[in-house]
Amino acid sequence: MWKDYSVSFIKKNRASSISIMVAAFISALFLSLLCSLFFNFWNYDVEQIVLEEGGWQGRITGEIDEDDLAMIQNFANVESASVNEELSEESEIVVDVYFQDTRTIYRDMPLITEKLGLDADAASYHELLLSRYLIHDPQDAKPPLLMAFYLVILIIMSLALVLIIHNSFAVTMNARIHQFGIFSSVGATPGQICTCLMQEAAVLCAAPILVGSIIGIALSFGVIQAINLLAADVAGRHEAVFQYHPLIFVVTILVSVLTVFISAWLPARKLSRLTPLEAIRNTGELQLKKKKHSRILSLLFGIEGELAGNALKAQKKALRTSTLSLTLSFLGFTVMLCFFTLSGISTNHTYFERYQDAWDVMVTVKNTGIENIEQAEEINQLHGVKSSVAYQKAETVCAIPETDISDEVNALGGLGTVAGSSVTLAEGSYLIKAPIVIMDDAGFKEYCEQIGITSEGDGSIVLNRIWDSVNSNFRYKEYVPFIKEEPDAILLQNAGQGENPVELPVFGFTQEAPVLREEYANYALVQFIPLSMWEKISGQIGNPEADTYIRVLAEDGITLTELNALEKDIVQVIGREYTVESENRIQEKVSDENMQKGAMWILGAFCVLLAVIGIANVFSNTLGFLRQRKREFAQYMSVGMTPEGMRKMFCIEALVIAGRPLLITLPLTVLSVGFMITASYLNPMEFLTKLPIVPIVIFILAIFGFVSLAYYIGGKRMLNCNMVDALRNDSVG
Amino acid sequence: MEILKCEGIRKVYGSGENCVTALDRIDLSVDKGEFVAIVGASGSGKSTLLHILGSVDQPTEGKVVVEGTDISTMNRTQSAIFRRRKVGLVYQFYNLIPTLTIRKNILMPLSLDKRKPNQEYFEQVVNTLGIADKLDFLPSQLSGGQQQRAAIARSLIYRPALLLADEPTGNLDQKNSKEIIDMLKLSNRNLNQTILLITHDEKIALEADRIVTIEDGRIISDRKRG
Ligand SMILES: Nc1ncnc2c1ncn2[C@@H]1O[C@H](COP(=O)(O)OP(=O)(O)OP(=O)(O)O)[C@@H](O)[C@H]1O
Ligand SMILES: [Mg+2]
Repeated sequence: MWKDYSVSFIKKNRASSISIMVAAFISALFLSLLCSLFFNFWNYDVEQIVLEEGGWQGRITGEIDEDDLAMIQNFANVESASVNEELSEESEIVVDVYFQDTRTIYRDMPLITEKLGLDADAASYHELLLSRYLIHDPQDAKPPLLMAFYLVILIIMSLALVLIIHNSFAVTMNARIHQFGIFSSVGATPGQICTCLMQEAAVLCAAPILVGSIIGIALSFGVIQAINLLAADVAGRHEAVFQYHPLIFVVTILVSVLTVFISAWLPARKLSRLTPLEAIRNTGELQLKKKKHSRILSLLFGIEGELAGNALKAQKKALRTSTLSLTLSFLGFTVMLCFFTLSGISTNHTYFERYQDAWDVMVTVKNTGIENIEQAEEINQLHGVKSSVAYQKAETVCAIPETDISDEVNALGGLGTVAGSSVTLAEGSYLIKAPIVIMDDAGFKEYCEQIGITSEGDGSIVLNRIWDSVNSNFRYKEYVPFIKEEPDAILLQNAGQGENPVELPVFGFTQEAPVLREEYANYALVQFIPLSMWEKISGQIGNPEADTYIRVLAEDGITLTELNALEKDIVQVIGREYTVESENRIQEKVSDENMQKGAMWILGAFCVLLAVIGIANVFSNTLGFLRQRKREFAQYMSVGMTPEGMRKMFCIEALVIAGRPLLITLPLTVLSVGFMITASYLNPMEFLTKLPIVPIVIFILAIFGFVSLAYYIGGKRMLNCNMVDALRNDSVG
Repeated sequence: MEILKCEGIRKVYGSGENCVTALDRIDLSVDKGEFVAIVGASGSGKSTLLHILGSVDQPTEGKVVVEGTDISTMNRTQSAIFRRRKVGLVYQFYNLIPTLTIRKNILMPLSLDKRKPNQEYFEQVVNTLGIADKLDFLPSQLSGGQQQRAAIARSLIYRPALLLADEPTGNLDQKNSKEIIDMLKLSNRNLNQTILLITHDEKIALEADRIVTIEDGRIISDRKRG
């Protein structure tokens, strides 16, 4: 009988059955995607570790001869052991050990070293790799963080899904409270009712869960491919190969089934716990617990408004979850979009815009001083090169008497106010960081010409500016002169050493830095000196950085392919003698854009999924909400409400259902975006011009569209339904 | 033989200021095979009493014993099983499951117990009630009177100790009402079925062996006929 009952119900209520199936499908899809992605991330992580550090599990270091090696290899649990030629030295042999059952490695390794007669600390473990397999030294109780992280995300996800989809079940179950009241009064136990409902859920959800899980796997395959495509240029990355394991499928199915089971069980239990009297009294009509007035709606729309308001209030609880899910998805969607826009603006600011004209190709010559670079001229002659300069940086500090600080800084409240704790005052002098930038002579000369300073003999150019941190933020920096432009020499010394200062003649002061790809420390007094000067003072001061940089500017309007070719040429010239790394601006911009696009795609897909769940939920909810009110509508019609009046009521309700989440979300979004803007010190106007209006509007329209569609479908059915049937009273009375 | 006995039943709805005492110390004893009519003004507590006797509702206080078992202390599952085996409930509205055929509706209490119907008895019941040709219809395809007959057939199918009927004819015309009451009487006489019947109709009440009158939750008179 239960079977007949369920089958005929499912057949008669296609729409609600489909909404349940869709809910189950989406949950399974999502959870499967998540599980599969996690597995792949984990796998990638392991591969990366093996690539970088090798796949060894344990290592034994010490005096180990052939016999010892054979002994290790013959140890019960050892799969293989081999001498690591790279790390081994004459007396210290390093043996990589691989185990059959890695789980006991922390027990077996000490046994092996003991047998070999070595100290316990001769054994070392690939802890990073082992921890990926959840194997930890039993001695230290470190929790398996990564796995816990995955697990927590999975649980949160599945709880969120329960929150959202249990409603689909509740709607179809609650529509039948009266019928279950009849069953109960005839003697069906709560257990039987619950079982019946759960069986229905199982029948409806089995196929969608299976299909959803499989499509989720396919989707994760797609995601991995997309990541490979988008992140192809990222340095230090190896191609991820999609992998899957039957165990993951088992976990996926388990989690999906559990999620759906809980979602169905919550409303089923609630329903089966109603007393038969409560249940049988429930005619499916909405009942207001307290008398309430929807003042605004009745004021705006008259009696229809009031009726709509009452209906919405009576359904408050059921609508709450749909409002919640819609609000969350909308919030997630908009905030994510805004975040991307902001971070896009921000990287443009900090990077590409600022260095637009500063460099086209950057070469880092590893572990080489600038004095050794002799190819500068050769690079300059390469086809397509507009200018190039080699430079190296060195660290020094200088002491500036308090009296030498510029009037502008003093007007701002003194150096202490502007620079805070970045400078220290001692004996009437400020100790200030004074980084030196050493440029090759040709480049230095060019710079001097550019700023109109004649440079004869030895000396430096002082970048005499300090960020006015009082009147500007770090994104839109404004500068004021740092010191009075009086001294014709500056005393430099090594940080931490008061002795042996070097007097550096000053050619002049400037507010304009040379075109280098450099960001100078805040509140530092930067000096630019030519190589010839450096050769004189390098013996006494300066902690030069290890690497030298060569900045190349190409001819204007160069294309990516040309620049790539140029980069190759340059590397060939300089790379003959030295180890070099090179970047080019356009390529970097392209890969950065790709990365961002990729992240946007993935997170965007996440947002869309969120939105789809929210909208699907609203749709099913609204349909269920309408279906529940057959009698209510029949009564309105029987007392003479016209179809136009009904339509008006539908419109009002749809407006409220779709509008409320928007009303809640918009201020929240504005708040959180406002917070992000403040935190990032960006100009709000700049953000507003790039506001992602279109997707947000599309999303809003989709919400209204789907709620209207639900009302259209439900309303049409309602207006066409048999009033007599609906009015037929079959309650206890 | 005493089939039903209740002692000091009280039922209070709500709490605090706006609480309603629907039943106030009801003592009642019914013998097997009796046909009892319960009458009283609207709101006097008749339905409440019937629900408690049918273990659809629990009394606030007091004891209800049916065939020697105290039903007022049962848990939900026990009382559900008790309902399906020991009582038949008939309401003014027929309370049939709209998606199940009349046959399935009638056999519901047996199906819940996973029992096969006694074919002979089933036929006897549906024939007596005159719905033998409607068994494969859905409830919505039947008239009100026919639906009520089906509901009665359902309440009789398990041969319950008690048949409790709450204004079973309240929805029907005179002719149908009379037929339904005649059928109840028939089952009372032929099957020795114990029946408690709530009614507003004086004439129907007079058909019963015994008339219990309730007012404001108390029994104010208990007359036996003949
Ligand atoms: N669920 C309830 N909550 C609160 N009060 C209730 C509830 N059910 C019944 N009552 C109250 O209990 C009293 C008895 O109700 P009951 O339904 O038993 O009357 P009745 O005799 O069957 O009336 P009628 O002849 O109109 O059916 C009434 O005063 C009613 O207001
Ligand atoms: Mg009543």
